[in-house]
Amino acid sequence: MADQLEARRLSFELRELFLVGLGAVPGALLRWQSGVQLGPHLGGSAGADLLVNLVGSFILGFLAGPIPQRTSLVLLLGIGFCGCLTTFSSWMLDVAKLIHAGKPVWGLLLIAASLVLGLLCAAGGLALSRTLFRSQLD
Amino acid sequence: MRDALLVAIGAVPGAWLRFRLVNHFEPLVPRKHWATFGVNITACFALGLIAALAGRCGPDQQIGLLLATGFLGSLSTFSTFAAELLQSWLSGQRREALWLMGGSVGAGLAAVAAGMVIGG
Repeated sequence: MADQLEARRLSFELRELFLVGLGAVPGALLRWQSGVQLGPHLGGSAGADLLVNLVGSFILGFLAGPIPQRTSLVLLLGIGFCGCLTTFSSWMLDVAKLIHAGKPVWGLLLIAASLVLGLLCAAGGLALSRTLFRSQLD
Repeated sequence: MRDALLVAIGAVPGAWLRFRLVNHFEPLVPRKHWATFGVNITACFALGLIAALAGRCGPDQQIGLLLATGFLGSLSTFSTFAAELLQSWLSGQRREALWLMGGSVGAGLAAVAAGMVIGG
């Protein structure tokens, strides 16, 4: 009985890790490729990082709404995909590089733009999700 | 192809570690967003360190793809930070949201700078 419970707990945890890992790979690959392909058009890594961060914030905002299959989708698309598509550390490194290069105003702009637009994207995703799945709220 | 594999190999443990750490600290940290904060700041320090070491020892593209782009990029997250910030603001915890916002940016920059100083 205890073994059975233990086995069930383990398979549950493996399923969680599988879903997170399955979302993580395409998320990280997209972030990497957006830096390689779009970076040169967006003013370097800072622009590419901002773009993926905003896209990820919108999707995660959407997932925070009353969506169906919530637990699995949050693991796969939220923690896995969006968590890896977006990055906090590269954003901070981008800001530090701008300050280091003698462009502190650009650094401050990058901080402000990321915060304001990131919050707006998350709020927009949440609003869309609430509109689409409103019937499930009732 | 090889580059993609390096990014993916770094990304999966990064995402797993973030997932398990945030879940582990959930009962200990009164609000979940401070666990995300901890993971993000740790990743900032490590990325600053790697960036400085790459500048000093000559950049190794493969180590960069595996550790910086793959592992640390996936360990840290902006979307959860933004969603948790929005959540605490919308639930009326304005002061908490402002602390989280200012604290994350301030500590994140300080951590990157500390990593760069130690690594440089």
